[in-house]
Amino acid sequence: MPDLLEPADSRSRNRTLEQTANGQAVRAPQAPRVQREAPSTPATPLPEPLLLLDHVSKWYGPVIGVNQVTLELRAGITGLVGPNGAGKTTLMRLATGQLRPDIGTVRLRGLDSWDARAKCHVGYSPDLDSFYEEMSGWQFVESMARLCGYSRREAQDRTEETLRLVGMTEQAGRRLRGYSKGMRQRIKVAQALVHDPDVLILDEPLSGIDPIGRQEFLALFHNLAERGKCLLISSHELEELEKLTEHVAVMTQGRIAAVGTLAQIRELLDHHPLSILIASDQPRNLAGALLAMEDVVGVDLGTRDTLVVRARNPRRFFQNLAGLVLEENYEVRHLETLDESAHAILGYLLGGR
Amino acid sequence: MGASLLHYRPWRGQFHRAAWTVWPIARVSLWMIFRRKIFWGLYALALLIFFMFFFGQYLLAWAESQTTEQSVNIGLVHTEPTRLIQLLREVMRLNGSGYTYRNFFWYQGYMVMIVLALAGSILVGNDFQFGSLPFYLSKPLGRWHYLLGKCLAVAVFVNLMTTLPAIVLFVQYGFLDSWTYFVDSSRLLAGILGYGLVLTVCLSLMLVATATWLRRTVPMIMTWTTLFFFFRLLAHALVDGFRYDPRWRLIDLWNNTYLVGSYLLGMGIDTIRLAEPPVYQAALVLGALSSICLIYLSLRIRAVEIVR
Repeated sequence: MPDLLEPADSRSRNRTLEQTANGQAVRAPQAPRVQREAPSTPATPLPEPLLLLDHVSKWYGPVIGVNQVTLELRAGITGLVGPNGAGKTTLMRLATGQLRPDIGTVRLRGLDSWDARAKCHVGYSPDLDSFYEEMSGWQFVESMARLCGYSRREAQDRTEETLRLVGMTEQAGRRLRGYSKGMRQRIKVAQALVHDPDVLILDEPLSGIDPIGRQEFLALFHNLAERGKCLLISSHELEELEKLTEHVAVMTQGRIAAVGTLAQIRELLDHHPLSILIASDQPRNLAGALLAMEDVVGVDLGTRDTLVVRARNPRRFFQNLAGLVLEENYEVRHLETLDESAHAILGYLLGGR
Repeated sequence: MGASLLHYRPWRGQFHRAAWTVWPIARVSLWMIFRRKIFWGLYALALLIFFMFFFGQYLLAWAESQTTEQSVNIGLVHTEPTRLIQLLREVMRLNGSGYTYRNFFWYQGYMVMIVLALAGSILVGNDFQFGSLPFYLSKPLGRWHYLLGKCLAVAVFVNLMTTLPAIVLFVQYGFLDSWTYFVDSSRLLAGILGYGLVLTVCLSLMLVATATWLRRTVPMIMTWTTLFFFFRLLAHALVDGFRYDPRWRLIDLWNNTYLVGSYLLGMGIDTIRLAEPPVYQAALVLGALSSICLIYLSLRIRAVEIVR
């Protein structure tokens, strides 16, 4: 659990909240790797974004897949979450140059993503499991390496290395038909990594992976991010995603609803006050004192010695709470935020979907 | 799994250009076909036709060296050398002329059609049917490279069954006849290559277009059968049976390639049948059909993004 008595993120100062006309979309407090340069930012220039989507829209006939999406990603891991049909896969396909935007531009290391040269910088692991089932894992990855433009010898070497990296060396000779879901995921990640791309876009990479495999994948993704790669990972496994990164982009109805760390996004959800469970030996007195605080919008007394506080502006609330507890000498035995998880935030952002 | 990146080298080299990906795409497609026994069975049948021509030419050369004999034995058959020579030269046209190669292409057509009908869904259809395209399209290549790769795979098939054996027959006849044959019949070699090119372009475009449209094997076979067998029967019935205008024969696509091929081999259409449409019309039909396929593929690859 994050330490709620500390500011959520010291980097979040001087960041702005943007809302669309309908008031639903929340522009994130921008993290350094996902940020447009503000006029007042310090002189240190940010590095060129590895992936840039600039006001991108994409229609499928009359249906809009992605609507005015702007996203800048630099080295690090970003989670992409949202309900089915939110436009995540479309966004990923735009980012990998499989789709051409109807409006806006998508750039990979400054190159138009539609350009074949740009695709050298991106690796994509789709959520589909559609392989050439008669091929072995080794043959499949080697074929994909050849498509990247490697010579035969280099393709073979890269295949060996990448299969070792994803832990598939021993099973590489088996046909894909006989692979489990987890093995298929590993092979998909291997083919995405085979050409050492700067940007790695992974659609549901943790789906079907056993717990040990998940830990290994999480470690791998962390290591790749540390090497300066940009990872955009779509997942419905929010708990796993939380372990992987704090930084998420939330999509709904083709739009980016919010981008930033979970804490930053949560902080901006003013119309959904944070719920905090407090256990104390004087719950009624504490409730009265809390109600006097300007950020508290409600207090529910629970069973036994607990109460649930609903407060806006969590950072200020926790600072005031700390002062109150120290001044009035309340004993607080337990303190827990109830709706700061990715699940809760997603639920608020998506309107209870 | 080794989460450490110790053995995962950063790549600092240069990749080949996107055009280099065409062959790897074709190579994967060919691998998918070559590992199927049914393909080798059909290819063996196609080779039987080739061997009939190959050993026929050899038999002809041998019979011509036996003209002083009263009779020769071929297995259990006893025949006069002159009759055997007449049979091989005039009936089977195994005389190293344009007729030989034209007939070879015609007979091979049956096997080519069957193989392509079966191969279409494996070569192309499965990518669309099962959604394997993202693997291709996320790599450093364009949509046209993908299509070119698939067309190249079809071209390899077509030429393995037609042009390449025809060239072998040409070389064999040159060795059996005389070295001057290679010089005197260079036009024939160009005709063989031209005929092969016509087949390659038309059939690869048609196969890739129909496979992206139909995707599955059974509809592919039905459509291919309709195009190349039913339409042939229909054309025959209309022109030869009901005495319709010979241009109705243009619906027989294989016959159109045959007419164009005959022209390229230096053969007149008067040597085929009494009622044939002009060669230019056959060429126009093939050109129009190829253009339609190209336009369809162009539209298709723009929409490929929403195909799963």
